[in-house]
Formats: sequence, C-alpha cells, structure tokens
Amino acid sequence: MLKINKLNTYYRESHILKDVSVSVDRGQVVIMLGPNGHGKSTLLKSICGLVEKIDGQILYDGQDITGLASDKIVNLGVTYIAENRELFPYMTVMENLKLGAYSKNARGNEKENMAWVASLFPKLMQRQNQLASTMSGGEAKMLAIARGLMSDADLLCIDEPGLGLQPSYRVEISQIIKEISRQGKTVFIVEQNIPQLIEMADKIYIMEEGGISFEGGKYDVLNNEQLKEIFLGL
Amino acid sequence: MFLEIIEVFTSGLINGSVYALMAVGLTLVYGVTKAFNFAYGSFYNLGGYFAWVLLIPLGVIGGYFSVFFMAIPFFFIVGYLLEKVLISPLRKYDDWEMKVMMLTLGLSLFMDFGYQAIFGPRIKSLPGIIEGTVQVGEVVLFQQDIVIFILSLSGMLCFWWILNNTRTGMAVQAVAQNPAGAQIVGIPKDFIFAATFAISTMMVGFGGILLCQKNFVDPMGSTDIMIKAWVITAFGGMGSIRGSLYAAFILGMLEAFVGWYFGMIHVQIATLTLLLVTLAIRPRGLMGRE
Repeated sequence: MLKINKLNTYYRESHILKDVSVSVDRGQVVIMLGPNGHGKSTLLKSICGLVEKIDGQILYDGQDITGLASDKIVNLGVTYIAENRELFPYMTVMENLKLGAYSKNARGNEKENMAWVASLFPKLMQRQNQLASTMSGGEAKMLAIARGLMSDADLLCIDEPGLGLQPSYRVEISQIIKEISRQGKTVFIVEQNIPQLIEMADKIYIMEEGGISFEGGKYDVLNNEQLKEIFLGL
Repeated sequence: MFLEIIEVFTSGLINGSVYALMAVGLTLVYGVTKAFNFAYGSFYNLGGYFAWVLLIPLGVIGGYFSVFFMAIPFFFIVGYLLEKVLISPLRKYDDWEMKVMMLTLGLSLFMDFGYQAIFGPRIKSLPGIIEGTVQVGEVVLFQQDIVIFILSLSGMLCFWWILNNTRTGMAVQAVAQNPAGAQIVGIPKDFIFAATFAISTMMVGFGGILLCQKNFVDPMGSTDIMIKAWVITAFGGMGSIRGSLYAAFILGMLEAFVGWYFGMIHVQIATLTLLLVTLAIRPRGLMGRE
C-alpha cells in the first residue's frame, strides 16, 4: 500500500532523513520506534506532503505521491495526525470534526464517519459545543485523532499520540487504535510510550539518526533484551 | 441641541457601517495570510471609478442596480487575480509578508497615479443612489443614508453567513486559526488565500461605491481610506473580525462627534490619538488574540 524508496529530506542546512526505505501493507499496524529528534515525525510528515524539500520516492497504492501537495494526498486517503494536535482553537469540537471531512473524498461519507467517531469517542460528543482551546491535553489529543478519522483515510499516519498523556489516556488510545485497525484501516504510527501497541504491531521499524536501523516483527523486538529496554522501558 | 446630536449620531452610524464593511475585509486578509494589503484604499477608489465609468460615460441601463450587479463579480475576479498574479509568486520567500506589504504599497501608488492619468486629477461626483428625505418625528433622514446603511449591513450579514455556514468560509477561518492544521485536513492554502483576497476586494469595492456616491471620487483619496481601515484593523485587534466591527462603529461615531464639536480638521488627529492610546494600554487592540 505504501512503499518508500530511498527518501531523503532536508530542512535548511540539515539533512534529516537519509535513504529511508519503508513499506506498509494494507491493513497492517506498523510502528516506528526510535529516539526523539531522529526524524520519525519528519518521515510521517513527508508521506503526507507536509515537508518541503524531499527527494526519493513515495508510492501509495502504486501511485507516486512524492512532493504532491498535502490537500491532494489527503484526497487520496492518507492523513496525518499531529503529535501537537494542530486543532482549530476557536472552533467547537463539532466544527473541528466537520473540517476533518473537508477533503473531497471525505464529504460523501461524512455522516457515516461522524457516527463512527461518535461511537469511538462518546466523551467528545458530550462536549461537541466546547471550544477546542478549552480542552485538556488528553481530550485535545482524542479530538485530533477523531478529526483525522473524519478524513475517510485508508492510511493513518499517527504521530506520538501518547506523548505527555496520563496512563489512562494511553490505554484508551491503544484501544482506539485497535478498533481503527479492526475496521480495516492501515495504521503507521510513531509511538513508544504505549507498550500495549507492540502487541498489535505487524511490523516494527527503528529509526536512528535519520536512517532505519532495525526492521522486524514484534517478537524480534520483544525477544531482544537490549531493544526492549531502550525503546519500551520494559 | 438634542436633534443635532441625533443627526450626528446617525451620520456616525452610517459611516461606521461602511467602514465596518471595508475594514472587515482588510482584517480577513490579515487574519488569513498575516500580510497587510496596503493597496486596499486604492481598491476603494476603483469602486468609485467603476461606478462612475458605468453611470456617466457609458450610461448603463438600470443605474446603480446594474452597477452593484456587475461590481460583485468584477471585484471578486480583480481580487482573485491580484492574489494569483502578484501575491502568490512572493509566497515562496521566507519573508513574504514583508514583500507583500512593499508590493501592495507600490501597487497603491501605481493605481492612484494611474487614476490621475486616466481620469484626470480632479474629483468626480457620482449621482446619488436615491434622492429625498424621510421624516421620523422631528428628525430628518436622507433616503440615501438609509440605503447605504441597509446595503452595508446586508453586505456584512452576507459575509458573516458565508464565513460561518459554507465549507469555504469555515476553511478560511481554519487557515486563519491554524495554518498547519488546515494543511493537515487537506485545505488547499492557495485557493483559500486567493478566495480571501477576492472576498475582501469585493467588500472594499462595494464600500467604495457606497461612500463615493455619497461624497465624491478623489484620485488621491485612497490614503485617507487606507489610514481609516488600518486604524480600525489595529484598534479592533489585528485579525479579529468582531474587533474590527466594533472598532468601525466606534471610529464612525468618533469622527462624527469630533467633526461636529471641534471641526472636521481635528478628525484625523482624534482617530490616530485613539489608536495610539489604545495600543499603549492594550497592544493587541480591542479584541486581538494573544
């Protein structure tokens, strides 16, 4: 479904991603681990057309989407869910969700997706008229995920959903991701604060200094004491 | 005395309503693009000349009805092209907001001198939309003023409705509140920027027609309008539409009362003093955020 060949990205003078090759199959949950500031977010953003200087090839369903504008990529069914949420602060929860379905491909299924989101996030629905800026960090994170689901995407690129959240929210997020995956969506996720996620992973990558240093199944990580300790704190 | 105050109040209300119509457009552009359109006053004059050309040399059938009918698509297209042809190529630079300010400042001079070259340096007067007066108790109102008030109010209501009830309107607000978030949900920034310029140009052109027919078309009058629009935008809070609405009416009233009590010559000083005092006490303006 997603195939990245030798991706390089640059930000001002720095060379961020170095020859990164990744592949994600339809319906999989793929997790990217690795130390902070080594390019994991940049990779997700590059897929979604949010990084300017990129080089290499990103294929989505066989189509070359390298360097395509973000609105075109969203329209093809690929969505980025930001670590820092990027909500519309002076709009209500409901308005944020509706804008999540802005893209042409999402408009036809807005009702169905809204019903799905309501069943996944009943607490958000109770607060549908609240301004996004008045929500707590955990709630705002939930809203960011919910808004992403409204885009009707088949591939969700989720950036550190558990960062800075209480354990109860992390458990909730892992359940939600399980449910998203059960619905047939493909999930490419950067996250290392939620050990429960590893159980769902079909494939795990580790990124260090802008390159992929490890690729394997979940047992490869779980059976490797060093990796387990470094990245999962187990 | 009381009657006079009512008249001054009415005049403040009417000017305030047109200022609101125009300033809201300028605020919208700033809110969405974070760049300031210094040619705004010259587009106000374009409204005046547009009406003059249609009404006087061409003698268009239908009078002002046709003028407004044609002005809406005309100014929409002019604003759209302004963004696509002149502004959009600058956006590849890091400091493009500054470049836009310089470009629009130059454009404003170009347009103002262009008007002089084409239409001559003398002011032109437009026929009134409607003649006659209405008497309410002892107060006499010009029908023209009532029409101006109703038209600018409906213009603003349309704008408000579009902004809050259409997909594009919500997308415009989304870009203003969080450009990165807007990009994530797939809002095409290029289109929204152009649409914003189109809407704002439409509003200032419309306002130009309304006020120029009340006053006159002055090829060098754009500076005065630009200062007013800028004062309203900064006083109301850069980028806050609600703030500029309030600011426009406050400024309209201030102008009317200062002009009546102290004389018109003190109006500009009064408005600038109001701005300076406000910004000294409250740098973000009436309703600016952060």
